[in-house]
Amino acid sequence: MTKKADIEDGNTYKTINGFKLRSDPAREACFTIAQTDAEMTRIDEAYSAEACRERLHRHMNNETGSLEIAAQTLADFPEAPWELRMELARQAYDETRHIEGLYQRLCELGGFKGEFPIGNFEWSVTMMQNNLPARLAIQNRTFEAGEMDLLGGLRKEWRLIGDTKTAELLDDILADEVNHVRFANRWIKRLVKEDGKILLRIAVAMRFLSDANAAVSPPIEGRASDHSIDMASHYKLGVNTTDRRNAEFTDEEINEILKQSGMKSLTASTNETTDNG
Amino acid sequence: MSVKIRAEYIGTFRWIEVYLMETIAGWIASTPEMEAKVVLGRHVWQSAQNADALGKRAFELRKPLHYSVAPSTEYQAFLERIRSIEAASDRLAGFYKGVLPGLVKKYQAYLAWTNPLMDEPSVIIIKNNLAGINRMVDEFNTFAASPDLGSFQNSLPSETDTYEAFLAAATQAELIGDTAHS
Repeated sequence: MTKKADIEDGNTYKTINGFKLRSDPAREACFTIAQTDAEMTRIDEAYSAEACRERLHRHMNNETGSLEIAAQTLADFPEAPWELRMELARQAYDETRHIEGLYQRLCELGGFKGEFPIGNFEWSVTMMQNNLPARLAIQNRTFEAGEMDLLGGLRKEWRLIGDTKTAELLDDILADEVNHVRFANRWIKRLVKEDGKILLRIAVAMRFLSDANAAVSPPIEGRASDHSIDMASHYKLGVNTTDRRNAEFTDEEINEILKQSGMKSLTASTNETTDNG
Repeated sequence: MSVKIRAEYIGTFRWIEVYLMETIAGWIASTPEMEAKVVLGRHVWQSAQNADALGKRAFELRKPLHYSVAPSTEYQAFLERIRSIEAASDRLAGFYKGVLPGLVKKYQAYLAWTNPLMDEPSVIIIKNNLAGINRMVDEFNTFAASPDLGSFQNSLPSETDTYEAFLAAATQAELIGDTAHS
């Protein structure tokens, strides 16, 4: 299923279910790296102590991936406008605080590094893109915007189980993520205005993301794919329309996301929000 | 020191800060320890802020915004040597024990040369940058001393000579090449 360490252009690549992706970033030996959704731990009882630790552990690694993507993008595109590079540098710093906060909370709940398998899908997909707008579109405008939706709902869920401390941590992280999505939205618009061909590159990148999703989360006979389960739980938590607006998605874009999430009835009035903050 | 020469130094310091930012940003994904990634990510932002302040000051000294000047060939070669180190522990040691303390000495030399009144805006920026660099070194030392990172500590170069060699190279290399004075 997985073939590793093909080296091209100084980078290494892996093949998952026949699909070529960037090899995983370095991790300590204590971590087990999953290559597909099926290899991740899935705990049926959503807020058992173990499930809570798994969520924090997974989130901690996702933030580590966000740090790595922002930092590597900063290193890979030295000719990018300085103001955009400053945004990426700031994002890298923000992600470090998220990692530290989540790690602290994980330890407080009795967890530890390497307790559960981790996946580096965001890195492996985003780093396949050789242009900066495509990386911003995938990492910031898609993955981080999706995280805004999740965090908007999860804050409430952690509060409901009495864990205010984790809820507040997620609220802090969410505030930062809005900035990361907003600067990507602003810069993509600006770059597209300067060069319309960039839109085509972004479209190609988004198609690549869709294909990569299918490769990493293939449907298993007799049940929906793990990825479709993830999307269902994502949408169950709601679309964080308030923060999507804060991040400067247009009403038209928000309506499209609501349609995709099965909340078509809300799209007539974009003043209504579905977030659970 | 003339305004023209000051601008060359400010532009050179900016070039170095950007180079350092790019260097450690490029190390994060290939460094295994999560805590080391965190330290490096924090310092990417510090170096970016240092560079940003210098770039704005260069504009005040009759140069383009974010004016940058490559340092001497010798100094560049030193920085490239550190960037190319493969082992995570060796490159972190080279950066925090050699490059940064060496840069501190270069900044301090500038403060000793310049006119503290007429060039006070540069002095303030450089003092801020020095405080930031000292924080970076302190944070690295705290990280490297963490009892949870025994395996990382064991992989750090143990010979003081290694650090001193890095620092000596960082200190001895001339900052400004001939072109800056032309």
